Formats: sequence, C-alpha cells, structure tokens
Amino acid sequence: MDLLEYQAKELFREMGIPILPSQRIDHPKDIKGLKIPYPVVLKSQVPTGGRGKAGGVKFAANTIDAVAAAQTIFKLPIMGEYPEVLLAEAKYNSQEEFYLAVVLDTGSRRPVLLGSKTGGVEAEAVMSQMQLVVVDQEFSPFYARRLTLMMGLDGPLIQAVSDIVEKMYRLFVKFDLDLVEINPLGVSSTGEVMALDGKVTANDDALGRHSDLVLLGRTKGQVLKGAQSEGELKLKQVEVKGNIGILCNGGGIIRTTMDLLYKAGLKPAAFVNVAGKAQGGWIPGDMCKRIELGLDMVSQDNRVEILLVNIISSLTPCDRIAAAIAAYWQGRTRKGNSGSNLHAIVRMVGSEQEQARDILKDLPVTVVESLDEAISKAITLASR
Amino acid sequence: MNFSPDSKVLVQGITEPLGASHAAKMKAYGTNVVAGVSPGHGGQELDGMPIFDLVEQATAAVGMVDTTLIFVQPYWVLDAAYEAIAAGIRQIIIVTAGMPPLDMVQLVRKAEATETLVVGPNCPGIILPGKQLLGTHPTELYSPGKVGLISCMGTLTYEVALELTQAGLGQSIGVCIGSDPIVGSSFAQWLQILDEDDGTHAIVLVGEIAGNGGEEAAARYIAEAIDKPVVAYLAGQQVPQEKLRGHAGTLIASQLLAKEGKEKVNDLNMATRKIEAFKQRKIALADRPSEIVRLLKKVLKKK
Repeated sequence: MDLLEYQAKELFREMGIPILPSQRIDHPKDIKGLKIPYPVVLKSQVPTGGRGKAGGVKFAANTIDAVAAAQTIFKLPIMGEYPEVLLAEAKYNSQEEFYLAVVLDTGSRRPVLLGSKTGGVEAEAVMSQMQLVVVDQEFSPFYARRLTLMMGLDGPLIQAVSDIVEKMYRLFVKFDLDLVEINPLGVSSTGEVMALDGKVTANDDALGRHSDLVLLGRTKGQVLKGAQSEGELKLKQVEVKGNIGILCNGGGIIRTTMDLLYKAGLKPAAFVNVAGKAQGGWIPGDMCKRIELGLDMVSQDNRVEILLVNIISSLTPCDRIAAAIAAYWQGRTRKGNSGSNLHAIVRMVGSEQEQARDILKDLPVTVVESLDEAISKAITLASR
Repeated sequence: MNFSPDSKVLVQGITEPLGASHAAKMKAYGTNVVAGVSPGHGGQELDGMPIFDLVEQATAAVGMVDTTLIFVQPYWVLDAAYEAIAAGIRQIIIVTAGMPPLDMVQLVRKAEATETLVVGPNCPGIILPGKQLLGTHPTELYSPGKVGLISCMGTLTYEVALELTQAGLGQSIGVCIGSDPIVGSSFAQWLQILDEDDGTHAIVLVGEIAGNGGEEAAARYIAEAIDKPVVAYLAGQQVPQEKLRGHAGTLIASQLLAKEGKEKVNDLNMATRKIEAFKQRKIALADRPSEIVRLLKKVLKKK
C-alpha cells in the first residue's frame, strides 16, 4: 500500500523527521482558512510520481491565487488519478537537495540505505550519484554515517543527514515498510535539513499487524489501487488490445501461459490468479469458489473472447473444478450472456479427469490435456 | 544436510488445517514424522503422531529432530523458527505464505549465524519421489528418477515435474525455494546440494524474469562450480514486467544494477540480462516447459 505524501509526512512528524508547516485541503474553499503564511506550495495528493511535471504542484503568493490554483489542481488528473485532497505547505529555500531512501533488497536479503547528493525530480541525476549501504546486521547509526560519507558529505551535515537516515530506518522497521523515501531532502544555506517530499510504501502482508497504518492510509480507492478486487482475488490488465482472459493457480504458471501466448502472436487481455495463500486456514471448497469468482471477473472484461483456464490441482479433484466452471456458465446464462461467443479452453491436472470432461461436455468449453495443446487451441480459436 | 529416509521430521502448526492434512499426507508417503507441535494441544495425537505444546518438549520425547515444517499463521512463523533453532533443529521448511519480509530478514540473520538451512517461506518444500515428502508437493505428479528440480514457483514446479514424469525421466529431488521477496535459501545453495547428491545426474532450474535476482547468480555458479548437466527455464520472458511486478525489491534491484554498470536498466533489458546470463555461459535454456525434456535428453546423451 502506497501512502500519500501528507500521510507519509504524518509518520515523519511522529518520528521527529523535520517537515514544513502544512495543512490538508479537502476543498478549494478550505484555502480561506489557511494558517500557513504566504507564499505557499499546493501539491496534488495522488499516488503516482511526476506530479510537478504534470502541473500538480503550484506556488501561490496570496489567497486569490491559491484558490484558483487549488481549483485547477483538483480538476487535474495525473496518470488518470484525480486528487481527493491537496497539501498546502510553506515554501522552502533549499541550497542543496539530496535523495534518501531505505528499502528492502531481495538480493542481499537485507534492508539497504540509499543516498544521492543530487536529489530531485530528474531520476538520471539522482541515479548518477546514488550510494548504497547494506544493513547486514542489527542496525546501528554508523550504517547511516557510512552512507553520508559515501555521499560525499562533510562537517555538520554528516550528523544532520545521518540522523534523518536513522529515523527513516526506525520508521521502516516499526511499520514493516517496503520503502521510505525522502526526495528531496532540502538543505538550507544554514545547514538545516527538511523533508520536502516523501514516499512510504507499506508491506501488504504486514498490514494485519499495523491497524494504525491502515487507518492512516484509508482513502477511497487507495488500498485497491490498480486492481479490481474480489476478496483476495485481483484481476490484472495486460494488453489494451488483448482478447484472451487467463485464469491459473499460481504466478509462475501465469507467466508461462502468457509467454506461450505472446510467442504464438496472441495477446492476453487480463489474468487472475486463483491460488490461495497457504496460511494454514485451507478449506477444500475454497479453490472452486475462487475459480467461479475468478471466471466472473475475467469475463466481465468485454474484450475477452477466449478464456484460458490452466489449473494444476493437487487437493481439489478435477470434477469439482469442472463443476465450478459449469456453475459459472449457468450463472452467465441466467444473466443473459449466453448469446455471446465466449469460448473457454480448460486444462486441468489432477484426479477425476473423466468425470470433469463429462460435466463440461455440453458447454462451449474445450478440455485439453497439456499446456501446449491449450495454446494450439487458442491459436485456432483466435483465427476464427 | 540430512534428508535420509530415517531422518526425523517435526510439524509445527500441526493442528492448522493445512498442517493437519499434510502431516498425514507426509506420513502416508513414508516420511518419518515423529511429532507435531501446537500450543494448547499438547498430549493429543494426530494419526499416531504425538502433539506437544513446545518444540523442546517434542525433542525431549522423540530425540533430536532433523527437519521441521512450519505451517503456523504468518505472524507466528518467525517465533516458530526461532523456537526450532533454539531446540537445535537446523533444517527448516516454511510452507506458510504471507510472512512479513522484515521477519524474514531477522530469520535470515539468525539462520546464517547458526548455519541453519531455511527453505521458503511460501513454498511447497521438498520431495524425494518415492521416499520422502517434506511439504505440500502433489506426489502423484512425481516419480523416482535422476533429475534434480529446483524452482521458485509452486505450481510451475509441478508443471515441470509432470513433464519429467511423463517423459519417463522422473526426479531425484524436487525443491521449491519459495516465491516471496525474501527467501531462506538460494538457487546457488541448492545447485551445490544437488551437485553433491549421488542420486542426481542432471539438474533443471526453473526461475523467473521478475524474480529476486537469484537467477543471474545461479548462472554464474553453474558455469563456475557445477559439473552436472543443467537445463534452465525462465518464466515471464515475453511478459511486460510492469504487469507482474509485485516484488518490492525490483526497484532496488534495478538501482543496484544501474549503479554497478552505470547504465539505465529498464524492464526489457532486465529480461535480456537474465537470458544472456545463461546463454553466454552456454547453459541450455528452454523456452517452454515441454522443451525442458527435449534439452535434458540432449545434454544427458552428450554426457
């Protein structure tokens, strides 16, 4: 879960990371009650990057300008997202801007500290100076100081910046985060440091033990961003011009299925992974329920003409999987979709194959033995 | 490492539905499951397997345990693993998915300090076809053979296992290291284990493009240290990566790479890099699961 800037800064404040006086704006008329002295910066609170370049960050010298700017920003979509709130913040004069981050590195299997002396919106400039410290054992502030020296800092800035990095690390661990980023960290002419923009990504698996974080991040659409969700299931879009819907149990088998479709010159439209998470609470009926739900989600996408179902089942016999597919089809017919030319290719690995074929024999469903066969069938169907 | 047929196996979380069903399945397959642990259920039994409240009570009663399988709820996995290590167990397989990655960071540090092998989390574990099941692999898709199978994705492991079984090659061992961002054991570690295993004549490595970067290290390791023939398969070669990205470390991985080589890394050359890592070293690379068997037969004949 990505937090918005104002939410991230709420956490920064709690940790003692310096931030500017700011105020949340829910509506342009809130500007009139602004308690921050002008000039101010108004920033669109959208969960995407590139706000500044898109026109989502505006300076205002007085109330009239600020109201107009707020109205404009509220109406401005950034990467298709409209802000629900804006952040009004005091203006800051930085002499230098740094990039700082704490992130989990899957390669070294440790958190790493990142720092660049050239922070800001130009990614290439940031990357050109990027320094990295792996926190291989229990954290201690020397890791942060090591980073600042690698960044080329000296004098009082070493302590000032490593203090920030240490607080970022503590925040990272306290809330089980995937990422804490400050970009830029403004440095004034007097050597004062200030977190001017921040990004915090929470780990979805750990959210269950951070109810305060869930509460903080709860705005419309934020949690389910980018995915339609049905319980645990998520429908993910692939190609705009695709016409094949994919339903598999497992991320690996989805990748393989998509690879083979692409190689055959076909385009997947969307996929859904119906593999439940093995968290101890496995219930035999679950898989069938998820298949039924998943089929419904995929086929609601109007572009989908071919459904490719590839299930490797060890616990659930194939006749029950087939029954779930049949149940979905019956529900579909009831909804009056029977006239459409949706066709399914079903490949199942598991027991009770005969019975499964029998259950599906009167439906527009082709049952195949192997993945290669499923792809050949998809090629035939796509060229109809 | 000890996966001999008489090695002792413990199941932590044996009263969880998945733990209970698989403890019984493992035992039926021939695995020497000596006990289960589930706090509050001490004194009970499951299919003849005694249940204890603590791991140390189990080891006191049944003797030193070689491997433990963890099925407890995700937020209790770290504690369960610590408990096992404290009781002297040095092989841990974590089946549970959804463990917070920072818990795993702590466990990895502990495992390194105590030389404990950790497989998973979020994995079906290990199978020695015809001998032992240490996890949740669908046993019916496997058959005894001489091909070692290492993978990082659950159902794709089964797909490849099925191909090997249908081709009459079978498997000496099947291991899935898990698909979470932070896993306890690497491809390289398992390549080494299988290289030393007398029952393994060839190795199949199933990785992915969007994965945590262990594939390139594996390719290097194969070229440097593995004498047995290896066939690799990487899933997701054709897929636009932003559609699949779920791993938090992808961002940093690309940053790290960019830093190393001072080059811009985008999704496309992430795929190219991984594929090249294998091709440059002349490691056979299959472009689909069914091609793995064809390539295997070729490399086995050459040998």
